[in-house]
Amino acid sequence: MEKHISVCPYCGSGCKLALLVENDKIVGAEALDGVTNQGELCLKGWYGWDFVNDTKILTPRLKSPMIRRSRDAAFEAVTWDEAIAFTAGKLSEIKKKYGPDSIMLTGSSRGTGNESNYVAQKFARAVIGTNNIDCCARVCHGPSVSGLMVTLGNGAMSNSICEIEDTDCILCFGYNAADSHPIVARRILKAKEKGAKIIVCDPRQIETARIADQWLALKNGSNMALVNAFANVLIDEGLYDKEYVANYTEGFEEYKKIVAKYTPEYVEEITGLKAAEIRRAMRAYAGAKTATILWGMGVTQWGQAVDVVKGLSGLALLTGNLGKPNVGVGPVRGQNNVQGACDMGALPNVFPGYYSVKDDEARARFAKAWGVPSLPAEIGMSLTDVPHAAEEGKLKAMYIFGEDPAQTEPDLATVRKGFDALELIIVQDIFMTKTAAYADVILPATSWGEHDGVFSSADRGFQRFYKAVNAKGDVKHDWEIHGLIAKAMGYDGIDYHSTEEIWNELISLCHLYKGATYEKLAGLGYVQWPCTEVDKPGTPWLYEGNEFQTKSKKGLLFAAEWRAPLEKIDAEFPLGLCTVREVGHYSCRSMTGNCVALATLADEPGYVTINPKDAKPLGIRDQELVWVQSRRGKVIARASVTERTNVGAVYMTYQWWIGACNELTIHHVDPISKTPEYKFAAVRVERIADQAWAEAHVVQEYSALKRRLADAAKPGDVAPAKIRAEPVPA
Amino acid sequence: MNRFIVAEASKCIGCRTCEVACVLAHTGKEDVEALAGREFHPRLKVLKTLTVSAPVTCHHCEDAPCVNACPSHAISYRDATVQVDQSKCLGCKTCVVACPFGAMEVISRPAIRSFAGIVVADGVKAEAHKCDLCIDRAAGPACVAVCPTDALHVMDETRLAETRARRQLRSALEASNVDAA
Ligand code: SF4
Ligand code: SF4
Ligand code: SF4
Repeated sequence: MEKHISVCPYCGSGCKLALLVENDKIVGAEALDGVTNQGELCLKGWYGWDFVNDTKILTPRLKSPMIRRSRDAAFEAVTWDEAIAFTAGKLSEIKKKYGPDSIMLTGSSRGTGNESNYVAQKFARAVIGTNNIDCCARVCHGPSVSGLMVTLGNGAMSNSICEIEDTDCILCFGYNAADSHPIVARRILKAKEKGAKIIVCDPRQIETARIADQWLALKNGSNMALVNAFANVLIDEGLYDKEYVANYTEGFEEYKKIVAKYTPEYVEEITGLKAAEIRRAMRAYAGAKTATILWGMGVTQWGQAVDVVKGLSGLALLTGNLGKPNVGVGPVRGQNNVQGACDMGALPNVFPGYYSVKDDEARARFAKAWGVPSLPAEIGMSLTDVPHAAEEGKLKAMYIFGEDPAQTEPDLATVRKGFDALELIIVQDIFMTKTAAYADVILPATSWGEHDGVFSSADRGFQRFYKAVNAKGDVKHDWEIHGLIAKAMGYDGIDYHSTEEIWNELISLCHLYKGATYEKLAGLGYVQWPCTEVDKPGTPWLYEGNEFQTKSKKGLLFAAEWRAPLEKIDAEFPLGLCTVREVGHYSCRSMTGNCVALATLADEPGYVTINPKDAKPLGIRDQELVWVQSRRGKVIARASVTERTNVGAVYMTYQWWIGACNELTIHHVDPISKTPEYKFAAVRVERIADQAWAEAHVVQEYSALKRRLADAAKPGDVAPAKIRAEPVPA
Repeated sequence: MNRFIVAEASKCIGCRTCEVACVLAHTGKEDVEALAGREFHPRLKVLKTLTVSAPVTCHHCEDAPCVNACPSHAISYRDATVQVDQSKCLGCKTCVVACPFGAMEVISRPAIRSFAGIVVADGVKAEAHKCDLCIDRAAGPACVAVCPTDALHVMDETRLAETRARRQLRSALEASNVDAA
């Protein structure tokens, strides 16, 4: 049996593991002693690798390039030459006719790796000539990046995952570590064992709330009010570090004015918390020698998200909890390489290494390195702009690389309308996803396990993962595919022979990554950027000497008035739906849904969790199927009646096809980061009298959907009029 | 003293990695492929109440109610554990009723029989199903090995003695605090 070093392809914890291989097939995984995971794995790491083997549990692997000459036609399998010629021809045509900004591209925050993201954005900028490239950071930690860039000058976690266990106080805000990062949850438990105070702000009784010293069960949608009240207490009670504020921050006077109104008493009504609880939490936070704030989607997936991120960084600034070990601000990245996709510049406003596209010097430098006369200076479009831009006719083509927006974007009906309006959809993926079913061209790529590369974990740690098995179909590496299309469009600058070659080009262009060589990353190597010299180990914690990466080198204190969620609950839709994740499945589920163990633990239609007090009057019992309906759609889900869910709210995980909560969510985005308000949509839950019918209906719809996608992946055998991944008709 | 699995509820995050490990450990293979088409019957179950998350499983009791109750003597003590001899199990569920922890379950599996080298289905076979401490697994209990938060341990004589000593010390300290107050 061979063993190949890899990094788990799921969450951002960056767990190192070994893939066990027999006869060119992965047969197991073993935990390795990586920096963040120390020989531990969660169930996704232990049992989440068999999707590579094409289990066909959910969707088949893509095995050959396919094109569809009209949207009504079936896919045809074609040769790579034909697929590349077709794609390049169409892209050139659209670029010529409507201009480069009529084309949108994505990076991929998933198993593909940093090198291919670097190549994808190079393709967008140098070949197409647009900054229209984005990745799913938009729908998760986009606000953390936007917010922290302004207040501290760097959008990433300020400190490391390993440091969490040595902090004296953890403030978990809208962050359910047990479900999203079990390996980070483990550090929180260790901190607790070592005596740290744990404060949890979350409407639900999440696992961390169970062990917390203090659990602030705030009302859904009151984040900003609570954060302002926290700041109010720190200032009002004189708990803040006056010297630190005077020396290392700016904006204090303005900040003080805004938070003055938000006394704990004033926000009692908004947050549903007692003033004394709020005061107690801040006394603990400010009183600790070192304190760390961790946050997740509970902060970022709101219409008011960037403001809250800035507010949280303000708490750290006020108390001097930055610029040293075991403190800091931690937006813990969800997907294994969402940090990496951002690091590589798969964002509409920055190049690799976070150089702004508006920076003339950087543009000139990249243009020279990439051998093009100039690069676009306009900030590009975000992923969440796509549906409207498509409908308005501004966008004509989309090149979707390793993402599944037809499952993960809010308000899926709008997304589908947007897709219909596009002239060209290119999907480059490993699976026949719901999004792939819309494509005009499908370009099959190698999967995690079948290629080499570097990932960035949530705490800026670069780690190498290695190829374990050969890909089985007629597939190519992502960066090869971009290279071939580029060549067909007349650009020779994407002609690489290995990921190392790509990496070397990247680090030669970005001072932040300069010292993170392949050699240093070999084996279990871990290099956290910034790493500006080859003989330096990297930077576990940022802002040494309290020098921030803002223009003035100071940290900015910033507060904003609280805004309520957009949609209001009313008699017709009396419950607030919040979308969340569960530990055994990941993202759109194309990977975990194809893993035997993980699919066995949890399958369609997925749960809607509801408090017994809300369930009872509706006559809903635990494990029964129910309808969940919003102003935008209606889906079936299984009720999980549990006291851990707060009264007045229901929660669904977003990876299900039948219980697809994004049919229900609203397209309302943060004005700055454009991240959608996944955390609040008004819904109603209805009992289904005929449970037998409902059970049969779920089974039928699920098999029909699976069959449609499986058929689509087998070109020629069937000629479906329209292969569509529509929701279950009510 | 019989060994058994204990879970520290303060460490469990309810992730169910242990459940998968348990089922996999009893397929005779470590490859998850072995789980395909199998019913999922872990021998420990992760329970979640408002304030507790923790797996519950067999205590391998010293004077085990299931052993005492089984009419066909299918359950016995072996290597400081409680084990079920499936060939003797009738599926009568007396043990399920007897177990005070709800650790015993009776499941039925499709039975097979080999006849002249051909495997044929042979109805179903009932099995009394519970933690066997992975007695046939060379590397020991699978659940303990995979738990990401190190919440599971095998409790044996030494470990139990240690725990007792710790608790005694704690009560002594608490008692002295009471005196001092
Ligand atoms: S999903 Fe996250 S915590 Fe689990 S093994 Fe993978 S990287 Fe580690
Ligand atoms: S693996 Fe460990 S943390 Fe996860 S459910 Fe089991 S005991 Fe709890
Ligand atoms: S010791 Fe083995 S049989 Fe017992 S619960 Fe753990 S994995 Fe299952």
